[in-house]
Amino acid sequence: MTALTISRRRVAVPDWLVQHGGLLAVLVSVCLYLSVSTEVFATTPNIINVLRQVAVIGVLAAGLTLLMASGGLDFSLGSQVAVITAVAAQLIANGTSTPVAMVCGLALGAVFGLVNGFVITFFGVAPFVTTLATATILDGVALVAMQGQAISISDQLTWLGTGEVLGLPLLLVIAGVVCAAAAVVLRWTRFGRDALAIGGNHVAARLGGIAVMRHTISLYVLNGVLAGVAAIMLLSRLGAASPGTAGLHLELTVVAAVVIGGTALYGGSATVLGTVLGVVLLGVVANGINLLQIDSFYQPVSVGVVLLVAAIVNHLRHRSAH
Amino acid sequence: MSSQPRALAMRGIAKRFGGAVALQDVDFDAAPGEIHALLGMNGAGKSTLVQVLSGAIRADAGSVQLGDTHLHHAGPRGAREAGISTVYQKRTLVPSLSVAENIFLGELPRRSGAVDWRRVVEGAREALSDLGIDIDPRTRVDRLGPGQQTLVEIAREVRRGGDVIILDEPTASLGGADAALIHDLVRRLAERKRAVVYISHHLEEVMQLSDRVTVLRDGEVALTSPTSSLTMRDLVEAMVGSDVVVERPSRPRRERRPMLTITGLAVRGVLEPLDITVGAGEIVAVLGPAGDGQTALFRHLSGLAPADAGTVTLDGDRVDPRRIARTLQQGLRSVSGDRLGSGLNPLATVNENIAALAPVSRRRLISWSRIRREALELRQRFDVVTLHADPPVTSLSGGNQQKVLLAKWLSGEGLRACLLEEPTGGVDVRAKADIHELIEAMAADGVAVLLASSDVDEVLRLADRVIVLRGGVVIDEHDADDANHHDINHALLGGIS
Repeated sequence: MTALTISRRRVAVPDWLVQHGGLLAVLVSVCLYLSVSTEVFATTPNIINVLRQVAVIGVLAAGLTLLMASGGLDFSLGSQVAVITAVAAQLIANGTSTPVAMVCGLALGAVFGLVNGFVITFFGVAPFVTTLATATILDGVALVAMQGQAISISDQLTWLGTGEVLGLPLLLVIAGVVCAAAAVVLRWTRFGRDALAIGGNHVAARLGGIAVMRHTISLYVLNGVLAGVAAIMLLSRLGAASPGTAGLHLELTVVAAVVIGGTALYGGSATVLGTVLGVVLLGVVANGINLLQIDSFYQPVSVGVVLLVAAIVNHLRHRSAH
Repeated sequence: MSSQPRALAMRGIAKRFGGAVALQDVDFDAAPGEIHALLGMNGAGKSTLVQVLSGAIRADAGSVQLGDTHLHHAGPRGAREAGISTVYQKRTLVPSLSVAENIFLGELPRRSGAVDWRRVVEGAREALSDLGIDIDPRTRVDRLGPGQQTLVEIAREVRRGGDVIILDEPTASLGGADAALIHDLVRRLAERKRAVVYISHHLEEVMQLSDRVTVLRDGEVALTSPTSSLTMRDLVEAMVGSDVVVERPSRPRRERRPMLTITGLAVRGVLEPLDITVGAGEIVAVLGPAGDGQTALFRHLSGLAPADAGTVTLDGDRVDPRRIARTLQQGLRSVSGDRLGSGLNPLATVNENIAALAPVSRRRLISWSRIRREALELRQRFDVVTLHADPPVTSLSGGNQQKVLLAKWLSGEGLRACLLEEPTGGVDVRAKADIHELIEAMAADGVAVLLASSDVDEVLRLADRVIVLRGGVVIDEHDADDANHHDINHALLGGIS
């Protein structure tokens, strides 16, 4: 083991490549395969389309990476998105100006995060249970808010959904900025390092002077706000809020992306780069199934398989590190 | 299992891992009724020898014999069935199950398919009382103290029978009173003609308890001799190969400005009101069995749990330990005795751990080059030895982890007083000497040091003043110059030994 580590150090391979080499290799292979076997995959419009589709998941996954770094977990993000899209759509459809509706959406997300964080820290309920409960509640609330029907916002958010910056979709740019910011926070700020310290050993973190409860609550609030951002992005892309577009189903994709990216389930180790690779991989696989004209029922199967393989590989790697 | 107890004989054991020699030509015997202590620094080969003996790994050369039976390729199961049982340092009890279930773990007696609970409880009761252990078998294991858990673990192995029992540092994390219980049990095992292989870092314990000592150094036997013909110094020399100071260096005594003052600190049922004043540059030891009052001292000074009463002042300023960040800034640091449990982040590297408290990390933005620079300096100052530039902290030996722990908690601006809980728990002799030097250097710089320890040697070596606690009550207070081993041990163990 020791010899292996030494030889690895001598070759000047950057840490991030060592850490994510496997995932990167899988992603590149899948892309190569699709480029060869379909004509459409390697075209600019298709690639931009894939990235535009994963933008919403990318925003959610970036926040979840920070939260999971601290040992937290949020199963309610997708359901938060569902409620926020419904409420924002109702507001816009009833004549509220879009900026006001957007701010309301973000505030709503912050409230959801606050509730989750409060229950988890003050009552000590496991994050898994708390957020599964709030997810179920919010899924129902979303249906109530939509009265079971799709709510169209006509072209109110088209500027966001189809807008471009330097030839790139605006949604993609937003997701990129959020992910880059999360990466910087996790690596170069005290906020991010404290999150990792809490995930690594929360007792030592507390004794070291970190306000663990406050920090944990702010992470849940941050995730709620990002759920608001994601909700507005989703609404702008679809032009309507409709039942079943978000909720637990969306959430599972987000969690899968973070886990595929190598974030430890109990916290203490995480990278946003891994998460981004996980998000893109899932997007490419979904696109591939589409392009290869495989029945779309196989998409969940593929997500599950990728998740399982990634989880096993991560487990083996952590075990060999000890 | 034969009725006649058999002797253990290991001959010419050798083992290599890759290019590294772990054991070379090691002979080791244990006769029925003998307590044979196995000593050695970290990495000397003790664990490898135990693993060979318990069948966990296979030796490259040599033989293991129990009576007339050869056990060379027995494997863990085979070794156990042949009559060699092992109690590992790491606990293997299931905390959420009862003592009785743990004793019968994996072999619960059944009657017509269902678990026969009466036999489980009665069998466990018998196994415990047979060894003179006073624990109700229906108690959940997590309700027991660490000492009692070790007793249960030993009782489990004894019930399964066998001629040889290996005890791997059974007292490593225990205080004096609990250790005394283990010692009594070990003596009873020997009376019953078991051969006991006893591994320990604690020299005094070995001197008192064992009939014979084998010291391993760099994978070879450095010494095998009856304990009665040895002194502590002989053991230390055999372990490190050179002389390490165990005597207390003389320190000038002078009047000291009170720095850390604890007044009336009390926790219901755990700690009677306690007053301690530590002067600048003074080392005051609070000695007591682990799990007794001095553990409470850490929990309350560090801010983990509030005390029921009491005040703490630092150089005249009031300190509220519950406000942890502020207390750290004021210059009071409490260093846990449980390094990976509550002192360090086991998932982080050495540098990240060292920097986690230092002022650098308190800035909002992190500069990695700064962390590297400062950590390097601290690693030199605290003498942390690593093979790689910045390895995960869990890859270090216990002694080096302990130094990282001290570097993390005792560096940075403004350190004025500290509480050190078992600062040399489970580290080898050399690291222990290093850490003692660090503590003395810190005191020489004017830091008030409060030492919570259950290690009498350490206390006598370091402390200017000794406060002895038992059952949360101060039973004795000495200037170190007047104190000696006998007095302190006597006070500490009281009615127990």
